[in-house]
Amino acid sequence: MIVSYLPILLVDLIGSILMIILSFLCLRFLFELRKTDPNNLIWTFLMWLGLALACFAVSRSAGHLLKNILILSGHRSIWQTIRPFSGGINTITFIAAGSITLFFEGIWNTYQLILKDRKELRITHDKLLYLNENLEKRIDERTRALAVSEYKYRQIFEVSKDMIIVAGKDGRILNLNPSGCHMLGLDSVQEIADKRYVQEFLSDKKGWAAMMSTIETNGFIYSDEYVLQTSDGISQRALFSVSPAKGAIEEEDEVYILVKNIEKRRLMEAQIAQADKLASIGELSSGVAHEINNPLGIILGYSQLLLRNEGKDSPLYQDLKTIEKQVKNCKTIVEDLLRFARTSPARKEKSDIHQLIEDVLGFLQHHFNPDKIKIIKNYDKKIAPMLLDEKRIKQVIMNLAMNARHAVGDSGTIEIATRADPYRGKVSITLRDTGYGIEKKHLSRIFDPFFTTKPTGEGTGLGLSVSYGIIQNHGGTISVESTPGKGSTFEIELPLNG
Amino acid sequence: MKPKYFVSACVAAVFFGLFFSAVPVLATQTHGQPEGLYVHQFGHLFFLFSMGVLEFWLRSRNLTLEPGWLYIQFAAVLLLLWNMDAFLVHFLDEQTALLHIEKIDPWHIRITPLGEYTSIAVLYYLGKMDHLLCVPAMFCLLLGLKRLAKDMVKANQDTDTP
Repeated sequence: MIVSYLPILLVDLIGSILMIILSFLCLRFLFELRKTDPNNLIWTFLMWLGLALACFAVSRSAGHLLKNILILSGHRSIWQTIRPFSGGINTITFIAAGSITLFFEGIWNTYQLILKDRKELRITHDKLLYLNENLEKRIDERTRALAVSEYKYRQIFEVSKDMIIVAGKDGRILNLNPSGCHMLGLDSVQEIADKRYVQEFLSDKKGWAAMMSTIETNGFIYSDEYVLQTSDGISQRALFSVSPAKGAIEEEDEVYILVKNIEKRRLMEAQIAQADKLASIGELSSGVAHEINNPLGIILGYSQLLLRNEGKDSPLYQDLKTIEKQVKNCKTIVEDLLRFARTSPARKEKSDIHQLIEDVLGFLQHHFNPDKIKIIKNYDKKIAPMLLDEKRIKQVIMNLAMNARHAVGDSGTIEIATRADPYRGKVSITLRDTGYGIEKKHLSRIFDPFFTTKPTGEGTGLGLSVSYGIIQNHGGTISVESTPGKGSTFEIELPLNG
Repeated sequence: MKPKYFVSACVAAVFFGLFFSAVPVLATQTHGQPEGLYVHQFGHLFFLFSMGVLEFWLRSRNLTLEPGWLYIQFAAVLLLLWNMDAFLVHFLDEQTALLHIEKIDPWHIRITPLGEYTSIAVLYYLGKMDHLLCVPAMFCLLLGLKRLAKDMVKANQDTDTP
């Protein structure tokens, strides 16, 4: 088969020239890509591949062109010499191109990893930049929030009416709130810097060890009652709640103590119990008095009837007189008991309390030695006339004044003061003496009927009971405070508007 | 078997086949004339294989969805075909018993196939015009690179635009 060689020749010549041109054009775009992003690994890879292909294209095309030129010009022998070199270079170039191509997957995977890392780096960088830019603002915000929080909790610590103590496990007071200072009788928080210990303020010196033992066992103490001994020597009952510190490492040896003073509550409970007791006694007394009053009336009536028939010189007359006297005494006691029990309603009318006091003091002035017993009057002149049963209120004041007189003995001071408290709608009458006071064990019984510390025959023990009943009947209260050896203070509180 | 493992297995099979089929040699082997041709033919096979792998990777990574890489894929396929063509023509050039090629004058050649296999002569004649494959391959590569460069510039502009 004879065929034209021209198509082969033309395709070979034109193709070779085009291969060279195209390979250089490829290189141009590869350089452009590389220039756009010199750090792009894919472009670097394509650059090497393009270079290898360009070498291959140039080598092969140049060889083909040279071959055709030499053969057509009749220099076949020269081509035969060059041919092995041309063929060898061709082989090397396309093997190089093939080899570079096989790196594609590795290069691509590496590039993807680089992109991923770059992306993460950029995100991290952006985050860091954001944090850096907003750090100051965030610090400000956090600091402000911290300050607000600190202020809030400091306020709780400062304004709490209960005592809050931060103490070491050895009992040393590390921090104490103002209420605590006040409760313990310390002048200032500064005093705790002088190594003060909780144990010092407990009546029971083994109390602290007991608390720590309970914390070890239960982990906390909730509302256990202990007696606090203030630095002034005053005992106060208090509820202790103790928890060990949890949080920062340096606080591990600390305990937080919340102390609630319940002295007032206990006193109030005692007063309520006292009132209940007196009410019960009053009820009983009332019943007994009613039952006794009638027989006494009959005995008195018959005694007086018999007395009419007896001459004064008759021996029976004296006996009947004695019976009459004792029956009258009994009736007085019964009446007092009934007054204590508040069976009869008070006859109230507008009265000036100061005038009543003055009347009583005027009546009693013969009993007081003005040289040795000083009477101080402290009246609140703003007190308007009140609705009072004059006779009974006078009796109360007289009872208290006589008791005070008895307490101060031959010399001393008795102070009578009045004070209006419009906000509470109360008027208080205070009678203070500098007498020998009342022992603590007697305080809870002084309003009991027939309770007296006076020698037998000097008092019936009904004075304060009657006073209590009268004041209660007026809707008021009567209370007493006393320090043995220093004196007593009786305070009557009456409603301002009766 | 996954394509990746299949390719690896083929490479290993070719390598070990060639390695163990080698004849025993003395310390320094003499390289005769046919070795150059064999190396060249192996080179074509290797280049063919490389282009096949490249095409496979481009498809498996979905890179061919981008026009630039699609053109490069076309270039790889065309170069693969060119290698097949070149390998065939080189092979036929050496098969003097199968095909006799004679230059009658500068503008004509006589191709004499063995027996009635004229199709081999036609195949050889067409195969000699291998630039019809490698030139389009280079053109596709050029188009691909041009498109990648264009996309790159556009991407940079998009990034720079706030």
